[in-house]
Amino acid sequence: MHKGKFWAVLAVPLLAGCDGGASALSPAGPAAQQIATLWWAMLAGAGLITLLVLVLAGLALWRGPRPTGERGWIVWWGLGFTMSVLAVLLGFALWTGERMIARGDGAMQVQAEAYNWGWRFTQPGPDGPVVTEGILYVPAGQPFDIVLTSPDVIHSFWVPQLGGKMDAIPGHRNVHRLQADAPGRHEGLCAEFCGLGHAAMRFEVVVYDPAAPPAFISAERAP
Amino acid sequence: MAWVLRMLAGPLLWGALFSAVYALHGLGCAWDWPARATPAGPLHPLAMILLWLAGLALHGALILWNRADGSARQALLVRAGNWIGAVASAATLFPVIVLSTCG
Amino acid sequence: MTEDIPANPARKALRLHREMDRIWSDLPGWRGSLASVNHSTIGLRFMATSFVFFAIGGVLAMLIRAQLATRDGAFLDTALYNQIFTMHGSIMMFLFAIPMLEGLGMWLLPKILGARDLAFPRLGALGYWCYLFGGTIILASLLLGMAPDGGWFMYVPLSGKTHTPGVSADVWLLGVTFVEISAVAAAVEIIVTILRMRRAGMGLTRMPLMGWYMLGTAAMMLVGFPPLILGSILLELERAFDWPFFDILRGGDPLLWQHLFWLFGHPEVYIIFLPAAGVLSTIIPVFARVPILGYGAIVAAVLGLVFLSFGLWVHHMFTVGIPHMALAFFSAASALVAVPTSVQIFAWIGTMWAGRVELRLPMLHVIGFFLTFVMGGLTGVMLAMVPFNWQAHDTAFVTAHLHYVLVGGFVFPMMAGITYWMPMISGRFRVRALGEAAFWLILLGFHGTFFLMHLTGLLGMPRRIDRYPGNPEWEWLNLVSSIGGMVMAAGFALFVMDIGMQWLFGRRSHRNPWRAETLDWAMALPAPPYNFASLPGPRHPDSSAILPLARGEGLLPGSPRDRREVLVTDAGTGRPDHVAVVPGNTVLPIWTAAALGSFFLLMLAGLYWLTPLAIAAILWAGWQWGGFMGSPRDAAPIPVAPGLSLPEHWQIRQTLAYSGTVTLLVADGTLYASLLFGVGFLTVIAPNWPAPESGLGLGALLAAGGALLSIAAATLAARLAETRRDRPTGATAALTGVLAAGLALALLGVLAWQLDDPRRHARDALRGVLLGHAVFHGAVALMLGLRSLCDARQGRTSRLRRGAAPVWQLFQAFWLATAALSLGLVILQEVG
Repeated sequence: MHKGKFWAVLAVPLLAGCDGGASALSPAGPAAQQIATLWWAMLAGAGLITLLVLVLAGLALWRGPRPTGERGWIVWWGLGFTMSVLAVLLGFALWTGERMIARGDGAMQVQAEAYNWGWRFTQPGPDGPVVTEGILYVPAGQPFDIVLTSPDVIHSFWVPQLGGKMDAIPGHRNVHRLQADAPGRHEGLCAEFCGLGHAAMRFEVVVYDPAAPPAFISAERAP
Repeated sequence: MAWVLRMLAGPLLWGALFSAVYALHGLGCAWDWPARATPAGPLHPLAMILLWLAGLALHGALILWNRADGSARQALLVRAGNWIGAVASAATLFPVIVLSTCG
Repeated sequence: MTEDIPANPARKALRLHREMDRIWSDLPGWRGSLASVNHSTIGLRFMATSFVFFAIGGVLAMLIRAQLATRDGAFLDTALYNQIFTMHGSIMMFLFAIPMLEGLGMWLLPKILGARDLAFPRLGALGYWCYLFGGTIILASLLLGMAPDGGWFMYVPLSGKTHTPGVSADVWLLGVTFVEISAVAAAVEIIVTILRMRRAGMGLTRMPLMGWYMLGTAAMMLVGFPPLILGSILLELERAFDWPFFDILRGGDPLLWQHLFWLFGHPEVYIIFLPAAGVLSTIIPVFARVPILGYGAIVAAVLGLVFLSFGLWVHHMFTVGIPHMALAFFSAASALVAVPTSVQIFAWIGTMWAGRVELRLPMLHVIGFFLTFVMGGLTGVMLAMVPFNWQAHDTAFVTAHLHYVLVGGFVFPMMAGITYWMPMISGRFRVRALGEAAFWLILLGFHGTFFLMHLTGLLGMPRRIDRYPGNPEWEWLNLVSSIGGMVMAAGFALFVMDIGMQWLFGRRSHRNPWRAETLDWAMALPAPPYNFASLPGPRHPDSSAILPLARGEGLLPGSPRDRREVLVTDAGTGRPDHVAVVPGNTVLPIWTAAALGSFFLLMLAGLYWLTPLAIAAILWAGWQWGGFMGSPRDAAPIPVAPGLSLPEHWQIRQTLAYSGTVTLLVADGTLYASLLFGVGFLTVIAPNWPAPESGLGLGALLAAGGALLSIAAATLAARLAETRRDRPTGATAALTGVLAAGLALALLGVLAWQLDDPRRHARDALRGVLLGHAVFHGAVALMLGLRSLCDARQGRTSRLRRGAAPVWQLFQAFWLATAALSLGLVILQEVG
């Protein structure tokens, strides 16, 4: 985790002026954080493997001929090395994914209806559900489930700083689990191409302090 | 050409097993099998695990008895086919024993 | 196992060349060129045409990069931009990559396997014309501003009639399906050629690796394309006639399209990669001057890739809401597929390690492959990891990844292949330095475009957006990509120029300039249309046999019977089996493609009532094709070598046509299996099931049962028509079979009136498709039955000659099996 953050800091000067409004590399929630960790680990591994293969290929090109056998290249490198790296990675990724998925634990639920071309959110309020256009209000530090629906074509809900994306598909009701660490604002966008208004189909996630929710929002967990 | 069929046996068994377990997964989720209890745990993972183990047993049988007596290269390829199928079935379907079913 | 075959007496090479050239050359003039069927001509046409489409797709890519260079991109409006990126993807996939590899396979395989032509020359030509006409239709839509604009994977409901009125989506569905005819044709042709036309004595385990790679590719095309063809048919039926396969209100589901599309779409990536890997496995040992390391391991890797690549498709659908366990199956399969890929990469490195590599231009492109593809493979493994995929899916990261894979894993190897085989095509050496400059520009331009694009995606930029006014942090990355793109485009222009210069100004090449061992270099340069004046056998296994073969010392020398004769061998051992006569120049393929094209154009124009005319034209053309299946007389065995005479193909049961039909039925069976998957998927997953009460009654059951019995009777009659072919009862059986098939078709027509309105619910629409499937196969079987009947009546069958009857039986059996399954399925639905 810390190593990941360290690398992220190194990368930041490259991303001139990026305060990470839509960046998956500046996570602001546990899911995004875990995925970012996975990414930095995979990047380091991939960098090393690329280097290794290219050095081997470069040496092979350099001079020769050299006596060599099939066993080393095929069995040790091709099968042994590759399969052990993949086994470790796959295990880690599945364990990460398993902790991320929504489960029926009574977390707060908000509805998100994605339509051509905008977002309509319904969140629990003190006097019943509150409907907002283009802005989703969620409390900090609590997991919440987004119930995604679409009346027209397929859209995809994505807040890069909070976690992965989930499609809104006509006829289906997808549930997506996210959590934000601290109060703040995050960019959200439609990730699945949906026609003429696709590029502008943005929204915003406002994360509030559960101790001081906006007046029209209830901080209480909906049952 | 018989050795070609022998070479294909392992991968084809993987294909059949992969499709069967995936289909069983979809059917089970649609029919609410995870909620149905059996003495050995919920019905859904149990059914998938049994199917997977049966498939792995068949792969084991292939590895033991599916051989070709042609050239060395033919024998190698038949053996490779057996192992490709077995490793593929073990690696692609092991999630049945570790993950939650329909979440 | 492979016994020696004695050599034929040597003759004057020039005289033999003239004798062969007269029979095997294309006809002169542009009219003559419409009749060409020769594999070299057709293969080169495929490659040249695909390169034109590559250039067009490249220009579209430059428009995309120009638009994205700045955040307000006021260069194109959104509607046009959507057409452009959709067309870029569709053209590069369907009109460049697939035809390019088909062309390479068709041009190269007979040469490298030691044959004179492909198994079905007319089919190759038909495929080419279908590709050209279909591609032209798609391209014309772009010029008319009616191009598809829903993204190259055409997700529904966006590509449905409600959200995409007009013809743009129909252009994609019909045009791409038209082009896919050529893919299936090429797959059948390549498989039969590899299995049955290898040099005498070349056992499967000793064929050049390119043969294994193309065998794997063609097998995947055979099984990979049918799901997309089915999906396209279903979506076109929904758009044209309102049959609700994807409409949730009436029992359809948009996810069915995604499954069918990616069932094709992921294997497609490996269909593109395998031939390219075959090129690498061919070229690297030549320049390293050692045999390839790990032949058996590479064949096993191809085997693994062919199968595993069908277990990955859902990794394009990780965000559609499928449960985590199911995602994990596909995630694990996607990771596992990296193993056979890495086995090959290490085998190539090991080969270079064992040898002393000459850094000629083709090897530079091989280095380009390593520098690019390794990274593409690794980002592929990253994307296979479910949680990371949830972030990176549908972002510029994926765009970067897929270009690393496709350019690294296809374009660089293809450029290696083109520069390697160019002397054989043009007969000339290349001009110095230009090719190297092109290579460096392409390499630098490519990485300039796509390396940082990974980061652009992780910073949140989704795919397929045309402007990003609120995200200035993406701007410099995009600008760098755009500049890189222009550099790469300049590199490709230079590459084309290099090829042109070589053709025009290159020095004459001497034979076998790379000192390769494979048989493709055992011929004069440029390659003659017949490849080998006499065919290589056990005595002439490699390129050193060039002179003996030209002098006629090999098998089946010359063309003394004034027709195109080829040697057919046993699939496993390569033992000579019989001599096949393949068709020469004919305009039938272009007329058939025109008939098919008229059908697609009428569908596109919505003139459905005129389509029977086109169908009649297609049936007429199909009837003409069958004319080649019979022969009026028994012929004496043909001398192949001293002491070895073989029968003509008309006197053999296991002909190339028979093998081809079996192969085609594999594709056909996959199409049917995809349809069954569709029924199962909608029944279990789609909302708004069960379907409303059906109106099927006793009348429908009687019609269906009667049809099934008639089909069974026709199948039996087809069998008798063959077994009793030398007696009068054979003709009677053929007539009975034709009548039974006709009756079955009539009863299926009656059944059509009994079905519920297919527009009511997806179940009823699927029943309509099942019925249509039976009718279509009935029509084909009936045609073959009529052909057999004509053969029997006109004395074109004898004790030795079987005519069309064996192929008829195959289609009858397939018709019977699928019709019985369909009926069983409907009964199950009614009872359950």
